[in-house]
Amino acid sequence: MRRPASLYRRLLTWLLLPLLGLGALMLVQAYLDARHTADRAFDRLLEAATLAIADRVQWQDDQLWLDLPPAALEMLATDAEERVFYALYDGEGNFITGNARLPSDERPDQGHGNLQGSLQDTLQDTLQGSPQNGSRGDTLLYRDIEWHSLALRQGTRRSRLEDWSLQERFEIRVAHTREGREALTLSLLRGNLAYIGAMAALAIAALLLAIRSALAPLTRLRSAIRSRDPRTLAPLELPLPRELAELRETVNDLLARMRRVRANQERFIGDASHQLRTPLAGLSTRAELALRQDDPAAWRGALEAMRTTSASTARLAGQLLSLTRLDNPEATPDLAPLDLNALARRATRDAWASCHRDGIDLGVDADETPLMIDGVAWQLEEALTNLIDNARRYGAQRITVRVTDHPPTLAVEDDGPGIAKDQRLLVLRPFYRGRDGGEGSGLGLAIVDGIARGHKARLTLESKADDTGLRVAVHFTGDRA
Amino acid sequence: MNLSGPSPRAAARRLVLTLLKPGLLKPGVLKSDLLKPGLLTLWLLTFGLLLAATPSWAEETLRFPGTASATQPLEQLTVHGALDIPQVRPLLEDFHRRFPFISLTYRNLTTLELNHRFLAAQTPSADVLISSAMPWQYRLANDGHAQPLTGARADAWPNWARWRHELFAVTFEPIVMVYRRELAERFGAPQSHAELLDLLEQHGEALRGRVVTYDPEKSGAGYSYAVEEARLSPRYWELVAALGATEAVLEETTGAMLQGLKEGKYWLGYNLLGSYAQNVVADDPALEMVIPKDYALVTQRLALIPKRARHPVTAQRFLDYLISEHGQRVIAERTALGAVHPSLKGPGTANALKARLGDALRPIRLSPALLATLDDLKRRALLARWQREFRRWQSAPEGAANKAAESGAPSYQSATAHEIHNDGTNAARSGAP
Repeated sequence: MRRPASLYRRLLTWLLLPLLGLGALMLVQAYLDARHTADRAFDRLLEAATLAIADRVQWQDDQLWLDLPPAALEMLATDAEERVFYALYDGEGNFITGNARLPSDERPDQGHGNLQGSLQDTLQDTLQGSPQNGSRGDTLLYRDIEWHSLALRQGTRRSRLEDWSLQERFEIRVAHTREGREALTLSLLRGNLAYIGAMAALAIAALLLAIRSALAPLTRLRSAIRSRDPRTLAPLELPLPRELAELRETVNDLLARMRRVRANQERFIGDASHQLRTPLAGLSTRAELALRQDDPAAWRGALEAMRTTSASTARLAGQLLSLTRLDNPEATPDLAPLDLNALARRATRDAWASCHRDGIDLGVDADETPLMIDGVAWQLEEALTNLIDNARRYGAQRITVRVTDHPPTLAVEDDGPGIAKDQRLLVLRPFYRGRDGGEGSGLGLAIVDGIARGHKARLTLESKADDTGLRVAVHFTGDRA
Repeated sequence: MNLSGPSPRAAARRLVLTLLKPGLLKPGVLKSDLLKPGLLTLWLLTFGLLLAATPSWAEETLRFPGTASATQPLEQLTVHGALDIPQVRPLLEDFHRRFPFISLTYRNLTTLELNHRFLAAQTPSADVLISSAMPWQYRLANDGHAQPLTGARADAWPNWARWRHELFAVTFEPIVMVYRRELAERFGAPQSHAELLDLLEQHGEALRGRVVTYDPEKSGAGYSYAVEEARLSPRYWELVAALGATEAVLEETTGAMLQGLKEGKYWLGYNLLGSYAQNVVADDPALEMVIPKDYALVTQRLALIPKRARHPVTAQRFLDYLISEHGQRVIAERTALGAVHPSLKGPGTANALKARLGDALRPIRLSPALLATLDDLKRRALLARWQREFRRWQSAPEGAANKAAESGAPSYQSATAHEIHNDGTNAARSGAP
């Protein structure tokens, strides 16, 4: 099984990798620096040796003549006992004397270097040491060469005789092996290495400490959550840095919402129990009264009354059931295309008979052409039935079911007393009755609200256009209610 | 030039014999014929590099056949040395006793032959080269022809006697003066260069033709010593002038000088190789050997293992033996070569000589300065100076000297007198013939 990613390890990786990369770069830089320094120091030897030799170049017997000073060669062999090579060439590149025919350095003299000095030349100069002017105005060139499979550093001095009439040009080439340079490079590098190593150790130690201390609040938060009583929904109270404080507030918000939901549920359960207990107690009383009598007619009356009560209780239970189902956030209704006009007409037809019996004028205002929306037919019919029922119960004489387009809206208007503005949100809560003494269960509007939410429709309660009665409308806007 | 075959050697012998005819050695002839630049180079290559260490021309070979044992297979080893058979024999015998499984061939060559054979051979060469021609050996190592010897003994070998683990100085041989008793009885025995100079200047007339020394032109050893002595002190040129004034005889080898001393032809020999003189002087009661007290050059045989050695492992065994205490003890006790090993203190060791002579000993240093002595122009300049100084006080009746006297001799003399007090490095400018 793959271990889940650790924040600690991720931080460590992303901080250590650049650090190590940086360290490697520093090492390379330190090596190049050390090499460069060593080369510069040892190139001075080449310079001094060529100068010592150049001082002894003369014109004699119609040719260049060199009385080689042994010290010039000795200064090229340091403690590391380098191999030493030297050669004297004339202006035309002819070998005059020496112990090795060292290759010539083709780079031009400084001063008349080519003006189109390309990048390559610059790079080469950086690597091999650019031409310099010696103390006598000579040209000095240094470079690394491979000669007879020996790695050498060669110094070339181009000079000329300082005689009365002669200005003969000549070139002195000296070379030695790199042991001394490498030893110096290593010792310089060793010093730098200790420094870089100490820096790296400090940086890594600081990094570990920093990550540990930065992640400590997370551990505190975790242990605070873990040690909580699982039943408590009290907000988390512990000091945390800003980034984690946001997380704590978010958790606290969630806990507050859960507290409200639970309070709602508890009240709902209380109300529901209360609502169911009353008719059940009534049934029980009625049955006892009837049992005390011997008259079958009284029994029959009692049974009929009991049938009415149990029917209304069953309806209450059914409403509670559908409300619970509607309130379940995890149940998503299967929406299907349906004709809103047809649905309104059908519901009105179903309710018309009972309304007509009570002398209530129920009408429908819907187009013949279908108005298609996505919805659940039985839920919308239920909502419509509930709204019509509600209007009847609160004394409306004239009820109109109206379907309008743009957006598709299903509305029920009545000429009843209406609901005061400050009551309009409260009536949507279960078991809230706008007026005491009504015979409704107090669930009708809550159910309609639930259905509207399930259809992502918006429920509005308002007065009619003439400021009387009530208009309850469900707008199928398609967005969230 | 192919020097590895026998015919060039025969030709060389003939040429030497021709040169040794008395008339040919006269300076005038040397000047007119031998010192022409092209010809001079040829002479230098042919004769000049011969060192006194090898008085014999013949190629001498010493063989020690090895015997393989059950545990140890036979190994082959070829050593080329510029080291006479009598000197090297005890050493090789001891080595053979210690390593009987090694089939050893020792070939005694002149230093020139040794060097040229090595450079000429395209195939793998000898396994070990031992030579007293320090500049040539140094040059071989400097050019990367040697392979390093590692190990505790090589590491412990004194720094002044090795170079890069590639070149090991295994002997310690002072350059000495040898005189006959007649000289000591008549004029007293010179114990230092200064006393020698006094002796030559005061009794030059009496010693005419009785003093012998190296010819720096024909002998590589003589040339090496001249370079070193000229570097040590400008007074060396006074000594050369004094030697010239007594018409000192110039020889090519220590052997020839010793021969003349033994026969009574010469009374005083200057700059002889101590390791060869020692035995001769011990055998002849008429001769005395002096290591000069003011300064004494010390030459050392340098051993190296070529990169192209056919049997590098056995070669390393041999060189390791040469620098071991055993090998060095044999050198100290049974040869006149002088042991270098720092823990040996008895007679015949560098330590004993140092205890006796202290700072006066001047071992020729293993440094790139040796390369400078091989420089052709340098050589020509130094030899020209040497010739000029040598002929300075000669009351030579030859035409050259007369001519010099006629054409502004005073200015010539003042120029040389000025140079004497210089370091002598500008000698070539005005003095070349």
